[in-house]
Amino acid sequence: MADQERRHDLETADDRILAGRAADGDVHAFEVLVRRYGRLMRVYARRILGSNADVDDVVQEAFIQAWRSLPTLTDLGSVKSWLMRITSNKCIDRIRRRRDEDDIADHDPGAPASTTPEGMWAARSLEDALSRALAGLPEEQRRCWVLRELAGYSYLDIGRELDLPSSTVRGLIARARKNLIREMEAWR
Amino acid sequence: MTDHGSFGLEPDDLDGHTIDELSDYLDSGRNPIDPSIESSPGCRMALAALERLRSASSQMLEAEAAIEPEPEEGWITGILQNISREVRSGRSIPIPHPDAAARLAITEGSVRALVRAAGDSIDGLMIGRCALDGDVTEPGAPVTVSIDATVYWGRSIPQVTEQLRIAVFESLALHTDLDVVAVDITVHDVHLPPQADADGKEAGR
Repeated sequence: MADQERRHDLETADDRILAGRAADGDVHAFEVLVRRYGRLMRVYARRILGSNADVDDVVQEAFIQAWRSLPTLTDLGSVKSWLMRITSNKCIDRIRRRRDEDDIADHDPGAPASTTPEGMWAARSLEDALSRALAGLPEEQRRCWVLRELAGYSYLDIGRELDLPSSTVRGLIARARKNLIREMEAWR
Repeated sequence: MTDHGSFGLEPDDLDGHTIDELSDYLDSGRNPIDPSIESSPGCRMALAALERLRSASSQMLEAEAAIEPEPEEGWITGILQNISREVRSGRSIPIPHPDAAARLAITEGSVRALVRAAGDSIDGLMIGRCALDGDVTEPGAPVTVSIDATVYWGRSIPQVTEQLRIAVFESLALHTDLDVVAVDITVHDVHLPPQADADGKEAGR
């Protein structure tokens, strides 16, 4: 079969096939996974990190880590959620490293960029409204909320990863929820 | 945050309950039923809002990813160059040679690549992971090749898997001295051939 055609077949292959081939050393199959989930991993990383700054590096690291660990992945069909988990782990590493670096500065998350009413009106869907509301949250609230709701971490895990008492995490997430609900209900 | 007026989320609005409690209550699947929550109009409004928030959350990343621009080619190339340096060689498989002084071997990774190439030569299926079960480092030891595959919709599974089995036997007999006693094929899915859903739709699940 022509190379071109086979490459096209790979693009439509399911995750389990691609992950299996990549686990066996097929770089082309891995490339299809990178193209299939790269964008999702990038928006996810951007959400956790809170900025664009390290997204390129973090997601690249996540893919390289994934390539190394793929031979040990037993449930190949779940490669997508596995990639997402690696991405959040890499983000947390990055956040910890950043914090260790600017310990002296006693990091000030700064005032949240408030979501303008115009911005909310321009939202096309509830998901879009949420995206915008989330961007307006203070950094710690947003980070804890993302790890809880998008990454599925427990309060305890979030506290451990971010060096916060889990009661603090709980409080931050409750505040984040209230803020998000207010913004979203206003949009509705 | 701006005050949007009437929507109350504080204990005063929630008959003494908190958003944190209500979130835990939703997490528990509202089980067991808490009458003091369920009978409070304020709580029920807040629960509905929390549920809307949750459902929007579960869709949000996919929605954002859909409008996210394609990453730059250079970024993708960077990943691929990096991983290409890390070869998966696996076990070393000896190849007998008439000259006793010569020591030849091929890697398990290259045998997997042979199996993959054999699979790619067959129309109507796509192979995924393959494993060589048996002590391949011992010349003459029996080896079973296990292959995971999907078959395209409308193709006969017995027919294409038989073609695959033959292709794998032939290729390994030609290129290696492995004593292949069986080629086990697991078809985990039947899917539409690429032409049918080629318009950029995601085939992942």
